[in-house]
Amino acid sequence: MKQLLASIKKEFFILLNDKIGLALLFIMPVLLVLIITIVQDSAFKVVNENKFSLLIVNKDSGNSGDSLISLLEKSGNFELTIKNTTKKSDFSKVTLANKHLFGIYIPTNFSANLSGSAALLSQTMLSAFGAIEEEPIVTAQRNQPLEVVYDPILQENIRFTFSSSLATILKGLENKIVLESLFKEMDFQEIPAEIRKQISHQSWIKESIAQENKTAVLPNSTQHNVPAWTIFAMFFMVISLGGNIVKERNAGSFIRLQTIPSAFIAAVYSKIFVFFIVALLQILLLFAMGRFLFPIIGLPVLTINSSMLALVLFSVLAAFSAISYAMCVGTYAKTQEQSNGFGAVSIIIFAAIGGIWVPTFVMPDYMQSLALISPLHWCLDGYYTLFLKNGGWKDLLAPISYLLTFSSICQLLMLLKLKKQHYI
Amino acid sequence: MEAPNKSVIIEITNLLKKYPKSEVNSLNNIDFCVFKGEKVGLFGPNGAGKTTFISLLCALFEPSKGTIKFTLNNQHFNPKAFRKHIGFVPQEFAFYEELTAYQNLSYFGALCEIPSDILKEKINTLLSKLGLSHVKNAKLTTFSGGMKRRINLAIGLLNDPEILFLDEPTVGVDIQSKTAIFSLLNELNSQGKTIVYTSHHLKEAEDFCNRIALIDTGSIIACDTLENLLIENNVLDLEQLLLTLTGNQLRD
Repeated sequence: MKQLLASIKKEFFILLNDKIGLALLFIMPVLLVLIITIVQDSAFKVVNENKFSLLIVNKDSGNSGDSLISLLEKSGNFELTIKNTTKKSDFSKVTLANKHLFGIYIPTNFSANLSGSAALLSQTMLSAFGAIEEEPIVTAQRNQPLEVVYDPILQENIRFTFSSSLATILKGLENKIVLESLFKEMDFQEIPAEIRKQISHQSWIKESIAQENKTAVLPNSTQHNVPAWTIFAMFFMVISLGGNIVKERNAGSFIRLQTIPSAFIAAVYSKIFVFFIVALLQILLLFAMGRFLFPIIGLPVLTINSSMLALVLFSVLAAFSAISYAMCVGTYAKTQEQSNGFGAVSIIIFAAIGGIWVPTFVMPDYMQSLALISPLHWCLDGYYTLFLKNGGWKDLLAPISYLLTFSSICQLLMLLKLKKQHYI
Repeated sequence: MEAPNKSVIIEITNLLKKYPKSEVNSLNNIDFCVFKGEKVGLFGPNGAGKTTFISLLCALFEPSKGTIKFTLNNQHFNPKAFRKHIGFVPQEFAFYEELTAYQNLSYFGALCEIPSDILKEKINTLLSKLGLSHVKNAKLTTFSGGMKRRINLAIGLLNDPEILFLDEPTVGVDIQSKTAIFSLLNELNSQGKTIVYTSHHLKEAEDFCNRIALIDTGSIIACDTLENLLIENNVLDLEQLLLTLTGNQLRD
């Protein structure tokens, strides 16, 4: 026990003296979590909360152009700037010059085209129902479509969101005109108020989050980034811990410890203990940041609705996995360069395939299969279960089983190597 | 081999050591004894097998063949138990440069399970004898090469060992540090401590050792007092003796 306490004290002294190592262990993850959450949150808000800056040039001689503008305004997704004096040849240039993300040019015959198309459709329908005997007499003309330009820096998903939004509004406008045309063909002056009311109240979608119970936790950048980058930081301790082991061995301390009975195993356990405390402090620091600092700076708060006991025990296992991996790398590496290089690259690869940066469901099938070998994937899976799905012990069984197996293999490999080198 | 009239601490018989991936034996059919209270030097070219031999003497690992007996005060010890009675000073600076001299000595002393009050006194005595009391709270990163060598030695002496193994204890040190180191080693030897020593500084070895073993290609090729070896081989000093018995061929 005295040997263990002395070794723990020594490890703490060494750690506290290693300013760069401490920065790597605590400041780097804080910055990572903060910066990446802010960046992702902004992107999230551009798509979901912010309004698209939109330039409209309305040259329509009828009313449909104005109706379209009105609907775009009502949707709440757009910040409109209307410059009807802009020439078509200058439209693209003006959009970019005024830093609009999108521009819509409504041509002169936009209303005529829509009305023509609606009249054709309504006559065709009435003819099909046998309500009129004549063949449709109107022909649709769409020789001047709605022209949309966008800022070239925009990402594909934002462009897609805009196009979908615009298509929905246009379809609504088109339907309204078709309906009006239909009623007109049947000699109604306008659509009856009751029908108009029913149409406007139709909604066939009810959205909710798939989860175990009814405690709603909305997925957001915080719920992903805080656990994800905490896991990354824990596993990145391979730089400090792995390097520490190589340094001690190459400096000759291991040989000296070998000559003192039981000292070596005390040194191994002390490293596990001290870095275990480090990992738990990392978790505490980053989760506290998500919980208390993020709301102050306008980021979504980290919501922890799951069982606190499950969270603590799973965190302990995740920390132990990270330590076991770092010790295994440190034991097998011959130099600090090897330990740092292999350690860092392997963690980055594990993080990439494990869904720390982008969710695994967007990856190809073979990459999703590959993710299963990453301990970071299973740590994240466990935290997702606790943070987003409100899962219980049964749901944690798979990640717990994997992490226990992974840690045991790392520890076993480490002990075999130390035994082979006669240190234990 | 001339055996001093002293009791045997380590007795090696027909020892052979072969590493798993090596095609040749690192040590071959070695018979050797370490006697209580002697200062024995192990010398030989690079790759001769000195490090393997000293590791076996320190009971760090077991031989492939042969036996090693550890005996102290007529009591036999198994290798693990024997390690409590040895002090090992490796060629490398086997300590933590980020810590102070006092923190390093406290740590290694605690590993040897020395009671804290005794340890404190022992640390102060060793630091004083090695001229390091004034820097006991300084980090070892600030120490000169000579000061680091002295700390390396002090750590090996913390457990008051019966037998002290020194691997190149004076590499890169100035004459002042060397004098302090040998002064302390001679003092310890006069108190009955046994010293096993390896070095490439043959002149200092001539003055220090009272028995010499020359190792080459995994075998002990000569072992006696320096005086006897010089007469037997008709050479003037240890350097000539080594060249005569091991040749001029480069060994690296």
